[in-house]
Amino acid sequence: MTVAAIMPRSPWRGGLAWRVIQSVVWSLVITGILILMAGKNPLVAYQHIVLGAFGSWDRVIVGLNKAAPYMLAGVGVALCFRGNVANMGSEGQIAMGGLAASIVALIGAGALGGLVLPAAIVAGILGGAAWAAIAAAINLWRGVHEVLVTLMMNFIAWLIVAEFLHGPLGEMDAGFPQTPMFDNAAWLPKLVARTDLHIGIVLAVLAAIAAHGVLWHTVIGFRWRLAGASDRASHYAGVSRARSVLGLMITSGVLSGIAGSIEVLGVHYRLIEGFSLGFGFNAIAIALLATLKPLWVIPAALFFAFLETGALSMQRQIGIPSSLVLVIQGLSLIFVLCAVGRGGRKV
Amino acid sequence: MTALLEMRGISKAYGSVQANAGIDLTVTAGSIIGLLGENGSGKSTLMKILFGMVRPDQGAIIFKDAELAPGSPRESLRAGIGMIHQHFTLVNAMTVADNVMLALGDAGFWLDRNGVAERITQLSRSYGLGIDPDTVVENLPLGARQRVEIVKALMRGADLLVLDEPTSILSPPEIEGLIGVMRKLKADGRAIIFITHKLGEVLSVCDEVVVLRDGKVSGRTPVAGATRQGLAHMMVGRTLAEPPQRASRAPGPERLVARNLSARDSAGLARLQDASFSLRGGEVLALAGIDGNGQQELCDTLAGLFPALAGTILLDGTDVTGWSSKARLTAGLAYIPADRSDTSLVQSMSVADNLALRDVAEEPFSRFGWLDAAGARTLVEQRTRQFGVRMAGSDAAIGTLSGGNQQKVVLAREIGREPGVLIAFQPTWGLDPGATRFVVDTILALRDRGGAVLYISSELDEVLSVGDRIGVICEGRIAGITDRADVDIVRLGLLMAGAHSQAAAA
Repeated sequence: MTVAAIMPRSPWRGGLAWRVIQSVVWSLVITGILILMAGKNPLVAYQHIVLGAFGSWDRVIVGLNKAAPYMLAGVGVALCFRGNVANMGSEGQIAMGGLAASIVALIGAGALGGLVLPAAIVAGILGGAAWAAIAAAINLWRGVHEVLVTLMMNFIAWLIVAEFLHGPLGEMDAGFPQTPMFDNAAWLPKLVARTDLHIGIVLAVLAAIAAHGVLWHTVIGFRWRLAGASDRASHYAGVSRARSVLGLMITSGVLSGIAGSIEVLGVHYRLIEGFSLGFGFNAIAIALLATLKPLWVIPAALFFAFLETGALSMQRQIGIPSSLVLVIQGLSLIFVLCAVGRGGRKV
Repeated sequence: MTALLEMRGISKAYGSVQANAGIDLTVTAGSIIGLLGENGSGKSTLMKILFGMVRPDQGAIIFKDAELAPGSPRESLRAGIGMIHQHFTLVNAMTVADNVMLALGDAGFWLDRNGVAERITQLSRSYGLGIDPDTVVENLPLGARQRVEIVKALMRGADLLVLDEPTSILSPPEIEGLIGVMRKLKADGRAIIFITHKLGEVLSVCDEVVVLRDGKVSGRTPVAGATRQGLAHMMVGRTLAEPPQRASRAPGPERLVARNLSARDSAGLARLQDASFSLRGGEVLALAGIDGNGQQELCDTLAGLFPALAGTILLDGTDVTGWSSKARLTAGLAYIPADRSDTSLVQSMSVADNLALRDVAEEPFSRFGWLDAAGARTLVEQRTRQFGVRMAGSDAAIGTLSGGNQQKVVLAREIGREPGVLIAFQPTWGLDPGATRFVVDTILALRDRGGAVLYISSELDEVLSVGDRIGVICEGRIAGITDRADVDIVRLGLLMAGAHSQAAAA
């Protein structure tokens, strides 16, 4: 099965966007019934989610900061799936990107002066890209299925991060596996002064637009789409599978690496164990929710992020567990996959 | 001896094509019938009807003195008809015994693995099959897997076995083994319908031969006393049309030369063996041959899509053997593959994108790595008009076009580039007569402009009407290339049926 085959026609009526919106609405309705069965009022619950997500500028900022890494990684996953590369490794690429950025931010502080921030981001990009390239190489030249390689390398990446935090990078007497705080020079600039909103969301939106442009308006994007549509036709057209797999995986690695970097440089100002836990897997869900369209990743990532910030607030306010969000996310994903899913046709 | 199977007046039409027209076939117990015929002669349809997979329009099947309900594979199985398909229906990760149990189906709730294994061992011993019930299928060579299929059929109680081109995937010693097994089955009173293209095998194992042509029985004869020439004539026999008249032209320069090309597939089976030919500008070299005799590998190897194990390819005098497909394309080698659905076209992409498929990195399709839709539009419009592609617009997905219009898009791309050499593999496959005419005329027009064309088809009539020189590809070898005027139809039939290799073996 090709990954892109997840996304063809279906018997559902209406345009693709309309079907996605319907799916989200249905997931909210069903979750509402679950809340009702738990003896709470779903409208009150949703009201608190909305308030928690958008109730104040601070809440909106938290959501936007959360959406940025989702968006970056989601765009990478969407491109890979388009090109028929089942990349499950965004999680590990984010972790390695964050680790590499942190190492440079800690070691380069002072010595690099004002250049420490760009150097750290470049390191994060290289970390994510290298981690993806290793997976691609194992897939291409040792013949191990990409799902297996990328998935397994996530666990390795987590353990490497943990190893650094419990060893050379760990902060003395912190009581928690984390690095000391980075020097101010390594902090990601704010988008709006005196708030927590960093420039990550701008980078993420630009990345989504750029990915759209590459996919539809460049020769490389044409080849990626071709690779996703048919192995035989790609071969006939002289498109090398190795090149498209490497290109797509490294692109995903770069974007995930940036996601990891902005998380440590813009939110925590230090590397914390588990700082990116679940980001990469959410990115897969977001890419699918966006029906593998890079531009649609923007609203999909915002939806996931605001749902999560809103739910945390709802839990604090009225005691409905925030894990309810997982139900909404999961259901909307299932509905989207059904709504745009197979229906017996090839892409 | 009484008849085990009688098929009477079987007819089946698919649209306007009469696949079977009043076919009678009688098989007695303890005999082997060879069923011969070119591609499309109606063999597969007849066997599908026998096995209940296709319901005939007319006719009756009498098996063991009772009429068989048409269109019911279950009924055919229960009555004792076993079919060994060319492509195996085995679960590779399971053992032989497990596969047999799957085939038995209604075995009750508890598995009787030991009992089944015991019976497999007995069958294997009595017919010399050499099958161990505990072996995992994926560890077996192809010949042994085929014998597992035979065991499956026998365990279901098959008295009549249909073997569909069983030797096409086997190496010579494995073929010997299979023929030995067939003789033992026959001695045991079972009957076999043996579908093949190879005359040598027919003569060595069959009792009677039935030849189909154009959906009718064109000949039947006891093997005793039959000759290869006679059988070949029954298979391809037709009155040869006069070679098409064309203005005589001086042969052009040598454009494409293949010397001793050899290639193997991923299973290690030899697909091309010392294939050689030379092709000049302004001529069509047409190769006839039964499907699956190395045509695909020959085309792909020439086009640079499949690696040659040995041999040399010269394009306009330059050795291009190590070149990529892209480099060969740029040097003037165009290629129309047989498969429109997933190779020469991408069904989900637009007409314009499909025209750009192999040239997307060049102007006018792109500039400096950026797609140039506006720049490409002129070319796309010009090509689709020139080749008469009927479509809703160049943005329409190619899958919405008819087969003929899809192939016109392929022609527009491959012939529109005015190639020095064109490889056309089954370019009219699945097209209606009008579209077929268009494709052939377009290719001949390229030839008249001085292009060199290698035309490969399993339709003998088409090969004879298109080629300036005619040859045969069989078992990966190219043989008998002659001028169209000197074609000996019986010799062609013999070569298609493997006379080359059998002569070599004898």
